[in-house]
Amino acid sequence: MSEAAPYRLRLFVAGSSARSQDMIHALRRTCRQGLGPATELEVVDIFQQPDLAERNGVVAAPTLVRLSPAPVRRLVGDLSDPERVLRAMALGPGAA
Amino acid sequence: MPEPDLEAALRRQLRELEARLQESEDTLDAIRRGAIDALVVSGGQQHRVYTLESADRPYRVLIEQMREGAVTLSPDGTILYGNHRLSEMLELPQEQVIGRDLGLFLPEGERPVLAWLLREGGRGELTLRGARGGEMPVAASLGWLAVEGEGAVLCGVLSDLSAQRAHLREVSRANALLRAEIAQREAAEAALRQSQKMEAVGQLTGGIAHDFNNLLTGITGSLELMQEAVLRGRIVGLERYVASAMASAHRAAALTHRLLAFSRRQTLAPQPLSPNRLVEGMAELLSRTVGPAIALRTELADDAGTILCDPSQMENALLNLAINARDAMPDGGTLVIGTANVLATPEACREAGMAPGPCVALFVSDTGIGMSPETAARAFDPFFTTKPAGEGTGLGLSMIYGFARQSGGQAMIESALGQGTTVWLYLPRHEGMAEEAPKGAVATPAAGRGETVLLVDDEAVIRMLMGEALRKLGYATLEAADGPTALRLLQGGERLDLMVTDLGLPGGLNGRELAEAARRTQPGLKVLFITGFAEAAGLDARGLDAGTEMLPKPFSLEALATRIRAMLDRPPSPA
Repeated sequence: MSEAAPYRLRLFVAGSSARSQDMIHALRRTCRQGLGPATELEVVDIFQQPDLAERNGVVAAPTLVRLSPAPVRRLVGDLSDPERVLRAMALGPGAA
Repeated sequence: MPEPDLEAALRRQLRELEARLQESEDTLDAIRRGAIDALVVSGGQQHRVYTLESADRPYRVLIEQMREGAVTLSPDGTILYGNHRLSEMLELPQEQVIGRDLGLFLPEGERPVLAWLLREGGRGELTLRGARGGEMPVAASLGWLAVEGEGAVLCGVLSDLSAQRAHLREVSRANALLRAEIAQREAAEAALRQSQKMEAVGQLTGGIAHDFNNLLTGITGSLELMQEAVLRGRIVGLERYVASAMASAHRAAALTHRLLAFSRRQTLAPQPLSPNRLVEGMAELLSRTVGPAIALRTELADDAGTILCDPSQMENALLNLAINARDAMPDGGTLVIGTANVLATPEACREAGMAPGPCVALFVSDTGIGMSPETAARAFDPFFTTKPAGEGTGLGLSMIYGFARQSGGQAMIESALGQGTTVWLYLPRHEGMAEEAPKGAVATPAAGRGETVLLVDDEAVIRMLMGEALRKLGYATLEAADGPTALRLLQGGERLDLMVTDLGLPGGLNGRELAEAARRTQPGLKVLFITGFAEAAGLDARGLDAGTEMLPKPFSLEALATRIRAMLDRPPSPA
């Protein structure tokens, strides 16, 4: 199932800093391990594309959004805990 | 009873709602815990991003540390924010900067500049006056920053220009110094040139005075002996003294002629002549002049045509060049004198300072020591000579150059050390046949047949001599010392056959003006100008009207009489 529909995630950050770079790095690793190697992760700076934040229902940064598979899921705040990230992003067993 | 499908749908909806509730709670929790960097706030079409202090700290640090003054201003010029550097520039502690009017830190005269920058944005130069009185030139760059809902502010950067200004001052000071040094050197060089020239002029005038004194001694000595003899009533043997006085006088005349040629104010008597015939006629003389160690060859172009120039000056020039060539070949060599037809383009003519048109060249070429480029460049300069002191005046080539220029032509030198020298004389080609040498025609009978000649010259001795000579030959003569006197004679009804007048006359009328006035009274009057030099441009023989001729001073009385006879015998020109 997960081979057929890879995850598409989008991370919203506020500006680029050393801290956000570290976070993006860690997040990529977590996603590849927990959601499969085909996971796509886009990074959006909300200063540059505030419209995109609005369209994706993002109210704060950092926010990680699962665009697919549906339904859309958002995780706001600390993304350094892999378990927390995977719990929010992975499709639950009853969510078919 | 609910259908099983409906129940499944409701369960899905419930799970979705639970998930979204969880998401919202997580979001609120993250915000509450400060786990976010920024909030996106939407109002209609506008989205604004509110960053928390932690997120833009790097930019604030950057701005605080930069070496330019950074400032945000309200539209009226009040400082809303200023970085650390700005407070340094204003010589105030940071906490006293915000809320001040930036205009108060500028001289009165520059406040309109700030007002303009606040209105339009852009760049300008200002002088900041610090709170402790220090002044600093700055480049100001202001731009609008739109902040929704809060009114616009201007953000600006102020860069210190002191170092740049100091550098500019340094450069301009160095420049001025350099310019002063150049001027000083130029003045020194000019002074040196002037003193060299004066030295040369001194040498030359000394030499001329010496020569003239010798010649005058010859003349006065002869005259004294004659006077003595006449007083004693002895006439036999007087011709000897006369002959020696005449010889000295002729040499003096030749000397002044050379000087005038150098100053390009000689009276030229140009006539159409064949350069080939001229060179052929001189070959024998030149060959003897250069001596047996030098082989003379002529290279004459068949199509060398005709030129218009003074034949005796041209002969002089060729003779001079041959002598130079001889001196350049102390161990012998070959001297070539030749002619060439030159097809010069109008551009080449203009560059050479000649009127465009076909040219004829005469050249004198030697196989001698040649000249360095520096020497060749100065060869035509008056007083420039490579010969040892006392052996050359430095006037030879400059005279030739003067003659060529005065004849509407050009002189050029082609030379290299050890490669010999060629001097080219370019002259405009004359469309017409060369006149035969007028040697046979000289012996025109000079006797008068009662014709009346008016003699105008401010020099009484010359008037007297001319009058006496002409009266002896059978002419009637009238004399006037200036133009007005001459005109009164004419208007008094005197019928004249010819007027002889000096060109330079006192009394407000020069010779030429007198001739014009006289011809209004007596149209067609023949006029012979006599002159020490051609005072005004265009008074060469070429520039004369019909019935008007020119006789350069000094002249022999015989030559005067011959010329007058020839003029009178010519049919009158149509007035």
